[in-house]
Amino acid sequence: MAKEIFYFLIFPGLLFSGVIGGFLSWFDRKLTARVQFRQGPPLLQPLYDFVKLLAKETMIPKYGSPTTFLLSPVFALFGASLAAVFILLPALGIDGGFNGDLLVIIYVLNIPSVTYIIGALASGNPLAAVGASREMKLILSYELPFLLVLVSIIIKAGMTINLAEIVEYQVLHGAFIGSLSGIIGFITIIMCIQAKLGLVPFDMAEGEGEICDGIMIESSGTILAMYKFVKYIMLLILPALVCTLFMSGLSVSGINILWSVLKILGVVLLLTLIRNTNPRVRIKQAMRFFWIWMNLFAIISIVLAVFGL
Amino acid sequence: MVIFQMLIFFPIVIGIILFLLPEALIKIKGIIALLVSGYGAWLAFNTFNSTSGLYHVQCTLAPQLSKYLQLNVDGLAKLIVLFIGLFGFLYALYSLAYIRKGKSVCGYFSWFLITLGSALGAALADHFLFFVFCWGLLGLTLYKLIKGDDDESASAAKKTLILIGGSDSVLILGIAFLYKMTGSWIMSGSSFTTSSALANAAFLCLLVAALTKAGAIPFHTWVPDYVKHAPASSSAFLPASLDKLLGIYLLARITMNFFRLTGWATLLLLIIGSLTIICAVMMALLQHNYKKLLGYHAVSQVGYMVTGLALGTPLGIAAGLFHMVNNALYKGGLFLTAGSIEKQTGIDDIDELGGLSRVMPLTFFAALVFAISISGIPPFNGFYSKWMIYRGIIDFGSGSGLANKLWIVWLALAVIGSALTLASFIKLISGIFLGRLRENLSKIREVGFAMWFPQLVLAAICIFFGLFAAKAVIPVLFNFGAMADNSNLAGLWESPQVSLLILVTILLGVIIYLMGNPKKHRISDSFIGGEKVQNELNFLPSDYYKTIAELKLFSFFYKWAEKKRFDIYHIGKSIVLACYSVGSKCHSGILSTYLVWVVAGMAIIILILV
Repeated sequence: MAKEIFYFLIFPGLLFSGVIGGFLSWFDRKLTARVQFRQGPPLLQPLYDFVKLLAKETMIPKYGSPTTFLLSPVFALFGASLAAVFILLPALGIDGGFNGDLLVIIYVLNIPSVTYIIGALASGNPLAAVGASREMKLILSYELPFLLVLVSIIIKAGMTINLAEIVEYQVLHGAFIGSLSGIIGFITIIMCIQAKLGLVPFDMAEGEGEICDGIMIESSGTILAMYKFVKYIMLLILPALVCTLFMSGLSVSGINILWSVLKILGVVLLLTLIRNTNPRVRIKQAMRFFWIWMNLFAIISIVLAVFGL
Repeated sequence: MVIFQMLIFFPIVIGIILFLLPEALIKIKGIIALLVSGYGAWLAFNTFNSTSGLYHVQCTLAPQLSKYLQLNVDGLAKLIVLFIGLFGFLYALYSLAYIRKGKSVCGYFSWFLITLGSALGAALADHFLFFVFCWGLLGLTLYKLIKGDDDESASAAKKTLILIGGSDSVLILGIAFLYKMTGSWIMSGSSFTTSSALANAAFLCLLVAALTKAGAIPFHTWVPDYVKHAPASSSAFLPASLDKLLGIYLLARITMNFFRLTGWATLLLLIIGSLTIICAVMMALLQHNYKKLLGYHAVSQVGYMVTGLALGTPLGIAAGLFHMVNNALYKGGLFLTAGSIEKQTGIDDIDELGGLSRVMPLTFFAALVFAISISGIPPFNGFYSKWMIYRGIIDFGSGSGLANKLWIVWLALAVIGSALTLASFIKLISGIFLGRLRENLSKIREVGFAMWFPQLVLAAICIFFGLFAAKAVIPVLFNFGAMADNSNLAGLWESPQVSLLILVTILLGVIIYLMGNPKKHRISDSFIGGEKVQNELNFLPSDYYKTIAELKLFSFFYKWAEKKRFDIYHIGKSIVLACYSVGSKCHSGILSTYLVWVVAGMAIIILILV
C-alpha cells in the first residue's frame, strides 16, 4: 500500500510530474516569448504562479453548486496523477503495468477534462456553459482518432494492450516512428494531444478573447492553482505517452536519460510551434477536422500497420 | 423445494389477492408489497447460495401441473434471481412513496408483485411452456404498469404491447422449431450448431424475442416511448432492470446453451450490438425530455451486452453479463432519480430545470454516481465492464473469422459510443442539477427516506462493484460455465488501491484548500464580462450539441429518425395501413362492383374445378 501511495503522490505521480510539467510549461512559455520577440518568464515562474494563486482570494459562485465546484479540481488532480502513474511507470521502465492498461489510460486521461466540464457547469456561469459544451464536443472529436492511433500501435506491437510490452517490442524491433504508419499515426496523435491540452488552435473551450476563459472563467485563487497544477502534469504525461508509444519509451539508465529528456522536449517543442503558428478554429471546424481528416489519417495508419509498413 | 415455490408463486398469489383490496388502501397495499418483495429478496439471496441443479416443484393443488414445474438452478439463473430479488425490494420501497392514490396506475402493487413472481419464474424455468407462460405474463404486466389515460401514453402502451406481444409469438414459433429438433420441452441439455435451416430459424426466432425484451435495435422503439409516459418506478422496474436482465438472460441461454454460434451468427450479433450502441446514443444526445433521454440510453447500453455475449469467449461472456448487472443497477437508479425530480418539480424538460443540487443533494449525489458509472469513467462499475468488453474485443481480434478481422470496427464503435454517453450525461446532470437554480424551483425539497434510500443503496453498489470488481465481485458472481476457474477475467487493475488513492486525493485537496487561504474567499455572482446575468443569457442544455446535429454527416440521419424511418413499429404500421387501403378500395359499396367480384370468383372456381 505504501508503495502505491508513494508512486501516486511523490514519484512518478503528483509531485514529480507536476514539477517536471511546470518546467515544461516554462519551456513552452519561454519559447512562445522568443517566437514573439519577447524576453519571456524566468525559470521559476510556474512555481511563482502556483504559490501566488494559492494565496489569492477564492471566489465561490453564489447561484451554482459550491460543493461540486470546489471538488472538481481535486478530482482533476486525482485523474491526472493516476494517469501519470499509469503512463510513467511503464514508460520509465519502473514497473510492468498490468494487462490492458492502455485502455485504462485512455479513460483516465479523460477524467481531468470531465472535471473541468463539471466544475464549469457547477459555477452556473453561462459563458462557462458555452466553454463546457465546446470542451465536450472536442472530447467527442478527438476520442475516435486517438483510439484508432492506439489500435494501429496495438497491431504493430503484435496485439498487445500492455504499455510495457509495447515498449519492449520497440526496443527489440526499432521505434514505431521509423515506419510509414508510425509517422502518420504520430501526426494524428500530436493533433489529438494538442486538443487534449487545450492549446491553440483547439483552445475554443477557453477562448480568452471571446468567452473570457470559458470553462475556467469562475476559477480563482486556490481552485485555479490546482487546475494550473493539473495542466502542468498533463503537459508532461501526454508527451511522455507519445514517446512511449512511438519512440520506445523513456529509459533512465546512463546516457539514455539525455535522449529521454530530448524526446520529451522535442514533442513539447512541436506542440508549442503548432500553437504559435496557428489561429484558433471554430468548434465546428475542429469537429470536422478530427472526424474526417484525422480519422482518415488514423485509418491509413491502421491499414499500413496491417500490411506491416 | 419449498423455497422455489415460495419464490415464484407467493408474490403472484399475494398480487392477485391485492386486487381485492380497494384502491383507497394503496398505502396498505404498498406495505404488503414491500414485505412480500423483502421476503422475495431474502429467498433470492438464499437461492443464490444454494447448490446448483435441477429441481422439481410439486404442485399439491393440481398434480398434473407438476411436470411443467421443472426448474434449472444453475449459475446464470442464480445470478439473475439474486438481482431480480434485490431490485424488487428496492423498487417496492421506492414505489411506496412514489405511487400516490388516484394519480397512478390502477392496481399498481398487484401488477408489481405479479411481475416480480413471473420474472423469477422465467429465470428459473427449465420447461419451455412454463418459461413462455412467465415470459408472456411479463409482457402483460408491462402493459398494465403504464397509465394510458391520455392519447400519447395510450399509444405508447399499445406500441409496447404490440411489439412485445409480437416478439412473444415469434418466441413460441422458435420454441416450436426447437421442439421439432429435440422432441423435448426441457431447456437444459439441448445444444445445436447454427448450420441446418431449422436450427437457423429457431436461432433467429429466439434472438428476436431476446432482443425485443432487452430493447436492441431494430426492436427497441418501444423503450423510449414507454419510459417517457410510464411512472418512473415502472420504468426502473421493467425496461431498465428486469427486461434487461431477462432479455440478456435469454440471449445468454441462446448463445451459451441452446446453440453454438458459427461465424455468421457472431457477425450478426456484433453488427446488432455495435449499431445499437451508436444509433441509440446519437438519438439520446439530442433529447431534452430526461426520461426519454434515459430511455435511449437503456437501449444503447444493451449494445455492449450483446457485443460481449457475441464474442463467445469466457472474457466476453463475463463482460457482457457483468455489464448487464451494472446497467440494471445504474439505469434503474437513474430512473429512480428521474422519478424523484418529476415528483418534486412536476417538470420533465431538462431546459426548464437547473441548480437542483442545492436543494436535492442526496438525489444529486446518486445521479452523479450513476451518470459517471454509465459514462464509463474509472473507477466506477460501468468502466470496469466496458474495459472487460474492450479487452474481450481485442482478444477476439486475434481469431481468423470475418467477425474477428473486423475487431477494430467493434472496438471503435464501442469506445465512441461511450464518449457520446458521457456527452449526453454531462447534459443531463448539468441541465437538472448544476447551473443556476431558477426562482420557481427554490422551494423544492429533498425527497423522503423511502425514495432516497433505494437511490443511495444502488449508488453504493455501483461504487462497490467498481472498486472491488476484481477481488470480490467477479469471482463470486461469474464462476459458472466457461467462466469458472478463469483467473484472467478480472485483469489486474488494482481498483481497491485506486479507492485508497481517491481518499488520499480528497485529503490532499482539503490540505491544499487549507494551505491556500480558506478565510479569504468571497461569494459572488457570475462574471460574464461586466454584464448583468439574465435568464435570456442562459445557454440551454439542449443547445449543447446542436452543432453535431447540424453537421452534414449526421443531419441526414436525424431527419430520417424524425420521420420514424427506423421505427419497426412505424414501418409495420404503414405496411398494414397500405394493405388496408388496397383492401378498402375493393369495398367501394357499389353493387355492380360486388357483382363483378362474385362473377369473377365463380369463373375462377369453375376453371379450377373443371
